[in-house]
Amino acid sequence: MRLIAGVDIGNSTTEVCIGGVEENGKFHFLSSASRMTTGTKGTLPNVHGIKAALLEALEKIHLPLNALDLVRLNEAAPVIGDTAMETITETIITESSMIGHNPSTPAGAGHAVGELLFLENIWKGKPGVPYIIVASNKFSYEDAAERLNQKLSELAIKGVILQADEAVLVENRLNRNVPIIDEVRHIQKVPEGKIAAIEVALPGTTIRMLSNPYGIATLLKLNADETRSVTPIAKSLVGKRSAVVIKTPHGDVRENILPAGEITFHGDKELKINIDAGADKIMETLAECGNIRNIDGQYNTNVGNMLDRITTSMADVSKAENQDIRITDILAVDTLAPVEISGSLAGETCMEKAVGIAAMVKTQQLPMRQIAEKLEADLQVRAVVAGVEAVMASLGAMTTPGTKLPLAILDMGGGSTDAAVLEPNGQVRTTHQAGAGELVSMLIQTELGLSARVTAEQIKKYPMGKIESLFHMRLENGAMQFFEDSIDPRYYGHVVLLAPDEMLKIEEDIPMERILEVRREAKRKVFVRNAIRALKTVAPDHDLTKIPNVVLVGGSAEDFEIPEMLMEALAEYRIVCGRGNIRGIEGPRNAVATGLLLSYLGNA
Amino acid sequence: MIVNKPSIIIYVNEPDEDLLREICAGIEEEGVLYQVSAHEGDLDTLAFDAAKESMLGSGIGMTGQQIAMQMHRVPKGHNVFELNRPFFWQCRYIGANSARAIKKMPFKQIYTENGEPV
Repeated sequence: MRLIAGVDIGNSTTEVCIGGVEENGKFHFLSSASRMTTGTKGTLPNVHGIKAALLEALEKIHLPLNALDLVRLNEAAPVIGDTAMETITETIITESSMIGHNPSTPAGAGHAVGELLFLENIWKGKPGVPYIIVASNKFSYEDAAERLNQKLSELAIKGVILQADEAVLVENRLNRNVPIIDEVRHIQKVPEGKIAAIEVALPGTTIRMLSNPYGIATLLKLNADETRSVTPIAKSLVGKRSAVVIKTPHGDVRENILPAGEITFHGDKELKINIDAGADKIMETLAECGNIRNIDGQYNTNVGNMLDRITTSMADVSKAENQDIRITDILAVDTLAPVEISGSLAGETCMEKAVGIAAMVKTQQLPMRQIAEKLEADLQVRAVVAGVEAVMASLGAMTTPGTKLPLAILDMGGGSTDAAVLEPNGQVRTTHQAGAGELVSMLIQTELGLSARVTAEQIKKYPMGKIESLFHMRLENGAMQFFEDSIDPRYYGHVVLLAPDEMLKIEEDIPMERILEVRREAKRKVFVRNAIRALKTVAPDHDLTKIPNVVLVGGSAEDFEIPEMLMEALAEYRIVCGRGNIRGIEGPRNAVATGLLLSYLGNA
Repeated sequence: MIVNKPSIIIYVNEPDEDLLREICAGIEEEGVLYQVSAHEGDLDTLAFDAAKESMLGSGIGMTGQQIAMQMHRVPKGHNVFELNRPFFWQCRYIGANSARAIKKMPFKQIYTENGEPV
């Protein structure tokens, strides 16, 4: 029996499939495995990952590496996906003039205006002047309350700002109720003597006055021009439970529109579009240009630098000249990114408009031949480059039960979304589109303001639940799950991701509903848009209704909700669409590797 | 009819008063009521009984400078948090956590490597 391996190197995973051919020509599939791709797709470091995957697959059937007779690599499409993110607006507050945050326990309710006065200088206060007292954490709550009580009848104390987390403790000891804000970290930056407005929302509501430009104008007596300049402050305070706005005479608050720059599409037509126009306009313009030869950005602008970065990093890995590297497709997505406000007092952030871009880079040709040679030398097994990726994927997808020609596949991987149509006469049309799993991870990361990309990837992959007691959790669909033994208290009250064998805690304090919304929206923005775009390109006469069935393959087809989303979106074109099941057992994985083995049989 | 107020129960056995005051401050800041009473028994029993007695299902036991926080239906001896000769801020946090257990909010981190609050 001859042992043959098919190897598919993808942007993020390397998949192998092993089959045996008997003397009489009968063929069996024996084993398969998948591993992370090592290095950028199509470069020599891939060999490492291939070896690991082959070993794993052989391990399953208890055979050594040298039992292999032939390794068949796919002729990987010379396209590599990359993503980048750039904010296009920026709020700059040069003179500290606002604090808006969500301490878990502020005290009192309502709003107040007064002159800022430090607690240690309270004796300097003059009767009749409204004051907001500022206390650093060197005063204990008892001490602070006592000092305030002494002056409460004499001075017009309207509100209190505390550094320590002691608002309720102080309030409970005050003889008169005033709004109190606590946990203001950089309290030493609060300018004494300036006029400030503070607000604490009623339980269950968010602030109303300070998140409204006219509210700020009313409290701080601003004129029309000043009101315009505080609009970014109001905007960034929307949704907070408490806030402070300080009136600084020359308070320089402005919203900068960064020079986002223009993208130029070099295609059948040459068109330019400003990034500011938004993702929809950018994608429309891209579609108008027809076949794209190259895409570049205006020199020395955000988008220019962003696209430059992508091409240079690709040039580095593929060791090609910069000129040989062309961006042939982009997918732009509108998003919001939380950015820390420069000059903030408590680490506040502001949601800035941003655009995420996935780019598809085309190089001359990937050095697949070199990989095969290296593999041959390392493993002492004959290795050949055989078959074009899309054709192989189609062949593999055909092994899904219930399919027939003409068949469209949608290969949704980490870096790119590829589509191919296989006609009954053997003709294949293919396309590669920028934007797939990695762009989704990036969107989730930025919109939720996560510190680690890994967390975003886990959010993308696993369903969630919230630990509501030490014995049960509420799942994202509203169902309850109970536990026999008590859960580790570290998980208590947190949102957790339900990975196969463990629960992963999300450190950031974000409501489950918000995570759910961002996750679904990110997947929809990337995959639904890309699927329709890709299928239109390969469909006969660019008419989607002429495709009878679509098989979803690739890593992102394993996702627990993307296939359903696509099924819904494609239903209106009366297309049978579903997650592939390669060889009836593999699910959507392993299509290309399987196709490589099948094509060997076809040739033999 | 005896009506218990919905509060966190703290059972103490010759407690360190300074530490106890900090625990109470932690609970108060979170806006929850508490009751302190003296009882006989070891740390695990005090905490377990306190949690059982509390209508809210959250209790604290304390002997000397040892503190344990318990929640109703968690087995005796499996204290949710336990401190021995703690810092003041740890007492404040264990109080806050006993309140957060009721409010279904994530706990504050009371064990840190450098002995400083996060």
